[in-house]
Amino acid sequence: MSHETFELIDRLRAGGRRAAMATLVRTSGATPRKEGTKMFVGDGGSIFGSVTIGGCVDGRVIEHSGEVLENSAPRLLNMQLGDEEAWEIGLTCGGAVDVFVEPVTDSMMRMYDDARAELEAGRSVAITTVLAGEGAGSRTLLKEGWPWPASSNTLFVEVLRPRPTLLIFGASAVAMPLIPFAKALGFRTVVVDGREKFASRERFPDADDIRVGIASEIAGQLEPGPSTAVVLVAHDYKIDVPVLEKALAGSAPYIGLLGSRRRGAAILQMLRDSGVAEAQLARVRNPIGLDLGGESAADIALSIISEVVAVMHGKSGSALSGKKREAVLQTT
Amino acid sequence: MNPYGETIQEHFRHPRNYGSLEAPDIRAEDVNPFCGDRVRIEIAVSPDETVREARFQGDLCMIARAASSLLTEMIAGLPVASLAGIAEETLLDALGAEIQPARRKCALLPLTVLRSGAGEWQRRRGE
Repeated sequence: MSHETFELIDRLRAGGRRAAMATLVRTSGATPRKEGTKMFVGDGGSIFGSVTIGGCVDGRVIEHSGEVLENSAPRLLNMQLGDEEAWEIGLTCGGAVDVFVEPVTDSMMRMYDDARAELEAGRSVAITTVLAGEGAGSRTLLKEGWPWPASSNTLFVEVLRPRPTLLIFGASAVAMPLIPFAKALGFRTVVVDGREKFASRERFPDADDIRVGIASEIAGQLEPGPSTAVVLVAHDYKIDVPVLEKALAGSAPYIGLLGSRRRGAAILQMLRDSGVAEAQLARVRNPIGLDLGGESAADIALSIISEVVAVMHGKSGSALSGKKREAVLQTT
Repeated sequence: MNPYGETIQEHFRHPRNYGSLEAPDIRAEDVNPFCGDRVRIEIAVSPDETVREARFQGDLCMIARAASSLLTEMIAGLPVASLAGIAEETLLDALGAEIQPARRKCALLPLTVLRSGAGEWQRRRGE
């Protein structure tokens, strides 16, 4: 969520106009987006982002944004999500959302700049916003370790976390399309390889970082932590074995190894022989990726990043349509 | 079937002198730009200008790792001035198996790195 907010802020600044910021602050029922999602509405009619994925809620927020800008005062909107449509197609209800709409101010932007600096330094922050009553719209930035503010008001707490990192070992053909996919999803991307010819800016123009050196040594230096996904696409045991050994010593929630099940078993056996515990070996995902079909480098990269996203969100990556049918069958 | 022989297997599985030195006098690193073997060799030099300790580190295939291990054993106590003169065949013979032409570069990478590091050290000494 954090990266999306900052992308929207950057686009808003490039436009250079007065704007209202709408933030999804409460959801109930089946709502497609999560609390903290933002939309900016410029006084010239420009719109960046959305608080829902369709229907008429965004349109109503845009309508109210004009009033908020005119009065320079925030508003808390409570809206039923898709109620009319739900009723018209025979369902009982949609969900409900509260959206806080407020004028964008210089002090608000400075606070988000401070927050961004903290995130770039690898630290999480929280921004509290008073939603109603006296001081509605006033904000406090809380950095890691700072005390919770005393308040009797209803507060919305927006937690912003540093971007997750995608560590790619092997500057291969599969690694190349992985970078733009991962960047669009908000990952910081790092490519590691021993060969300058492969791990070059020419091949990876959008990578946040390119490291050339002894890959296993770099893996140890980078200490893959809980917000890091490790992807091994070198398809070369001399990289895979020592890098996996280092990666498994960390707490990365995703460690994927390119290659067949047979090849993966041989790599894991080499690690087992060197003393890596079974519980650690079980963390390695091989063959890597979701079963999407396709054979091109981009197909494989999409399959990998899809599995990474699912794992980072604690999901299986199975088709939503299958889940829906199961749920309907259970309730009928 | 073991196409490489016991020596290579033994040095691959149990490499000698793997790791790094606290304050090496010689440090050199290089990569095979296509297959990606990358090795760093570090050497501590005694006052009499012989090799006191040697270490290697890297992401290496079986042959390159075994060759690095054997080479660091081979040079212990030798004068640094003699390292550039180690013949390729000496290292290839020590591996104890016939190395196919396509894999010779794997076997000889550590020797290339060693020569580069020793040469650089001698140049610095001469300045």
